[in-house]
Amino acid sequence: MSEQITEKDHTINENYRQKPKVAVYVCHCGGNISDIIDVKKVAEELSKYPNVAISREYAFMCSSTGQDYIVEDIRNNGINRVVIAACSPALHELTFRGALSRAGLNPYLYEHVNIREQASWVHKNDKEGATLKAISLTKAGVEKILRQDPLNSIRVEAVRGVAIIGGGIAGMRSALSCADNGLDVSIMEKSGSLGGNLNRKGKVYPSGKEAFEIANELSKKVLSNPKIKVYLNSEISFIGGYVGNFQLNVKKSDGKFEKVKAGAIIMATGFSHYKPQKGEYGFGLADRVVTLPEFENLLENSGEKALEISGKKVSSVAFMHCVGSRQIDGIDAPGKNGKVNEYCSRICCGSIISSANRLKEKFPEISVFDIYTDMRTYGMEHEKYYKKASENDIIFFRRPLEERPKVEIGVEKVNIKTKDVLTMNEEMEIEADLLVLGTGMEPNDISDLVEYLKLPRSSDGFLQEVHPKLRPVEVANNGIFLAGTAQGPMDIKETLQAANTASVKAAALLSSPDIPLDPFVAVVDEDKCTGCGLCPKECSYEGALIMIEKDVKGKKKKVASVNPALCKGCGACAAVCEPRAINVAGWTLDQFDAMVEAIAKE
Amino acid sequence: MSENKEFVCDSLIIGSGIAGMQAALDIGDAGYNVIMVEKSPSIGGKMISLSKVFPTLDCASCITTPKMAASSHHPRVKAFTYSEVEKIEKTNEGFEAEIIKKPRFVIESECISCKKCEESCPVHLEDEFEFGLGVKKAISIPFTNAIPQLPVLDESKCIRCAACARVCPKDCIDYLQKPEKIKIKAKTIILATGYEITPMTAKKEYGGGRLINVISSLQAERLLAPHGPYGKVLRPSDGKIPDSIAYVQCAGSRDESIGIPYCSRVCCMYAVKQAMLLSGSLPLSEITIYYMDIRAFGKGYEQFYNQARAMGINFVKAKVAKITEDQEHNVILRIDKQEEGSVPMEVKHDMVVLSQGLLPSNKNFFGLNIEKNEYDFVASSKPDFSPALTSTEGVFTAGTACGPKDIPDTIMEAGSAAMEAVNYLKSVKI
Amino acid sequence: MPEKKPKILIITTNHSSYPGANAVGQARLSYDSNTYIIRVPDPVMFPENFYMKAFEKGISGIIIMSSGSDCPYEGAYDRLSKRIQNVYKLMKEKNININRLKLTTICTVCREAFLKEIADMEKAVSV
Repeated sequence: MSEQITEKDHTINENYRQKPKVAVYVCHCGGNISDIIDVKKVAEELSKYPNVAISREYAFMCSSTGQDYIVEDIRNNGINRVVIAACSPALHELTFRGALSRAGLNPYLYEHVNIREQASWVHKNDKEGATLKAISLTKAGVEKILRQDPLNSIRVEAVRGVAIIGGGIAGMRSALSCADNGLDVSIMEKSGSLGGNLNRKGKVYPSGKEAFEIANELSKKVLSNPKIKVYLNSEISFIGGYVGNFQLNVKKSDGKFEKVKAGAIIMATGFSHYKPQKGEYGFGLADRVVTLPEFENLLENSGEKALEISGKKVSSVAFMHCVGSRQIDGIDAPGKNGKVNEYCSRICCGSIISSANRLKEKFPEISVFDIYTDMRTYGMEHEKYYKKASENDIIFFRRPLEERPKVEIGVEKVNIKTKDVLTMNEEMEIEADLLVLGTGMEPNDISDLVEYLKLPRSSDGFLQEVHPKLRPVEVANNGIFLAGTAQGPMDIKETLQAANTASVKAAALLSSPDIPLDPFVAVVDEDKCTGCGLCPKECSYEGALIMIEKDVKGKKKKVASVNPALCKGCGACAAVCEPRAINVAGWTLDQFDAMVEAIAKE
Repeated sequence: MSENKEFVCDSLIIGSGIAGMQAALDIGDAGYNVIMVEKSPSIGGKMISLSKVFPTLDCASCITTPKMAASSHHPRVKAFTYSEVEKIEKTNEGFEAEIIKKPRFVIESECISCKKCEESCPVHLEDEFEFGLGVKKAISIPFTNAIPQLPVLDESKCIRCAACARVCPKDCIDYLQKPEKIKIKAKTIILATGYEITPMTAKKEYGGGRLINVISSLQAERLLAPHGPYGKVLRPSDGKIPDSIAYVQCAGSRDESIGIPYCSRVCCMYAVKQAMLLSGSLPLSEITIYYMDIRAFGKGYEQFYNQARAMGINFVKAKVAKITEDQEHNVILRIDKQEEGSVPMEVKHDMVVLSQGLLPSNKNFFGLNIEKNEYDFVASSKPDFSPALTSTEGVFTAGTACGPKDIPDTIMEAGSAAMEAVNYLKSVKI
Repeated sequence: MPEKKPKILIITTNHSSYPGANAVGQARLSYDSNTYIIRVPDPVMFPENFYMKAFEKGISGIIIMSSGSDCPYEGAYDRLSKRIQNVYKLMKEKNININRLKLTTICTVCREAFLKEIADMEKAVSV
């Protein structure tokens, strides 16, 4: 493993060594905070607090002007520590670290105090209490930053390669873009071929292209690209490591294992079509009830004369929207995970209308019914299909949002009863030879990968990005990016765009030979360390914390030693160290003691 | 006109809205030099003027300002604001663009953004940043978070009283400033020219532009914004707090009669969002959304819609046929309720918001040979392979320039266009 | 001045419960303002006497919102729960009602659970 770690000191400004001069900034967040919290009072109280040299309030600290205040105060007023009371650090911790860096101050000499999500927004009816709380929390922030050492990011040499999990169109698009960027790419695909859900017969909307042709255009390029290695029929038995240095144990089609190294991982694990439960709209009770992908197959393979199911000619088809999507707790049966699929699957309305039109065009004499609740044909060309469907004499029924059509399997037909908004909520009865269930998308089962990498998932089970607008393809874990429907329902074009976005992030991450890592790992004060050996026993990470013998100030001494690339910074070691010789950088126990003291004090 | 300064960059991005900024940041992060050209006096595009954004309800400023700050501080990103692209030519080395930098009538290098000029100016104008709801001065910094923080003097409205020139501590008002011609050589172009909303007057039956209490969706955004023109939600005719507000969906989309048959993709969600914000700031008001289909198709959107229904916002399936007003300027909608069998009826509201659709902002692409779709959005040349590609090699597109879409989708496309541009730059370098 | 309310310290994790507390705010739900959230990589870092000292300093109740099974750190939750058992022993020795310390698991979307833990602790500290 190449864990050559170099510590580069970016600190230009050494004035943190001088007497602490803290600047406090209280953000109004354009009313989000200042409508509830008396920001002037917070700033005023803090200006009287020991070691605080400057205390200001401003409309938008995150704006350029707000950041300029910080830079100016550091450059011209000798500020060497900064506390900002504003929104959640998830939004702007990085923004403000950047401002400190620009001013030449170590970016970690700043503490972010959350007085929006955890104060103004949750104490709307208690302005005074919220203000007092903001004052206490900001004082605690000052106490914390007074005890903060400047930290330098740890730089890890990175493997200039990307591991892409999933060989569907998202995986292939990412692979091509990363390879074009000069990165080595490995694609791990569990099935025997590339293409994923598009590896099938049948046309896609809106282009009307054959699905497999789209997959083929990409896979031909992937397979002929010397920088891309494809592992078909492969399984991932373990993933370890960290940003810049991931290791994947890949079980190959021949049963042998191979270790794949990568600097970044792209999750392109895709979706599965929702599988209706037995009896859900008659599914599984008769072959006359099929899912949309099954119907696509049927239509594709039917002769020119007639559409047949189990040898019987079909003369009427009904399509049902929102099967496995937009489910409601208490109305729809929960799935295996005990939850209903509350989300919209985005692509089904368009797919259904496109299929229904193709059915009508191939067999104009077949009667087609469509039972929907909101027609979500949102794409540029989709509205045309919808209009064409009406011209094709497809008959629409609009069910109320919370009503579920009842399906009975008759001797010959499928009998569907639904309320119809379009005809004054009358109960309508539809008899069809074939019922097609417009099944939605579910994330593929990747619980093992989620477990290895501790990936966050959203309540709908798809992988969860950090923020849909600020960091849309990143997860909380450094170096792992999301591409395509692993993240949520998307159509083909959207999937390709998402895959390229994941690639550009991976390319930027690996554009230089080393990657800066967060410095929040355990550090040992060797003077204080007694060599007792208690802490390594608390550590769960192989090789991260060991006892070594070394010279400390001329004396040979047994001390704890941390490998910063392997340490995850949980702090389990700190709890057992009586003399407080080992601490997580940036999160020391002395800091927390002082914060609690500030909070407890009136 | 002063002559021909010349700049060279790897990527020239037209437009500095969220698409342009994100593409600039991604290309800059990958190690290439970027120039953004923006016709408005500030970067940030439409997004910076929005109130909050769905489905997270983050304030739009909180998401846009850091991207604005990041792109203005980025060592490899440069922006020309208040500048129009005259033409772009394809050359053997890439592209050559001619830019006209419009005069602000302020010496930019000297200005310290103190706003004294703005305070002293006696001329009040309609504020386009507030979409006509607020008032600004003839010389003013466009809005609080604008980047750069430079005032612009509206030459056509200025009365040459010289009040600003007298108070300016840096003596940097220059009434004689001329447009500047700038030449930019670039290897790639990204079209991120964004959208306009369908004009209020597009559908005559809806009375937009004539009826004072029928407002545009972007005006509603400003009413709800933390820094809005009035600081609260008031109706324009009499400053009364509206007790009943209605949204008319598809007022400028899905409507062949006005030549816009497509769905604009964002109107359902922004109406739902605005309705939620309204019910937060005016808890006693009735809010009704007249719609055909609620298209809550993005990640977390259905849940957001359900939350709005749980909050008591009325969703009424109805087509709105005509909008008129009574003597007090209350708005009268003639609707066909779908639920009750298309019986026409009249309903009265204090204020009505038209959920307008999205049109392309630029249609000529500065003389570049770019294929468009039938609605004048940039067409993707390979939608099933890499959708950011256009019909001209080296030109890429992102965001609403190539079709209506929401912010998350726009940001994804910006990353995608950046990836294509970066890889194109790699390939032409060798 | 309003009457002085007993203070509740809430220890959250960067990974789960701190974003969970943000989600409560994003949903504009409400709880009492005598609650002070601090965030840590993992509460496993606090020794037993950290809690005892907090009580001594005047904190009335402590809720530890760990990441539970979502915890990104191996073995941390087991270590933490054992440690909290030790703290309970110390609390009993000092005659502090053990309801004033609660170890619980809060995820990034556990809004209701978050509010319930606070409501429970408000009751415990008002006794």
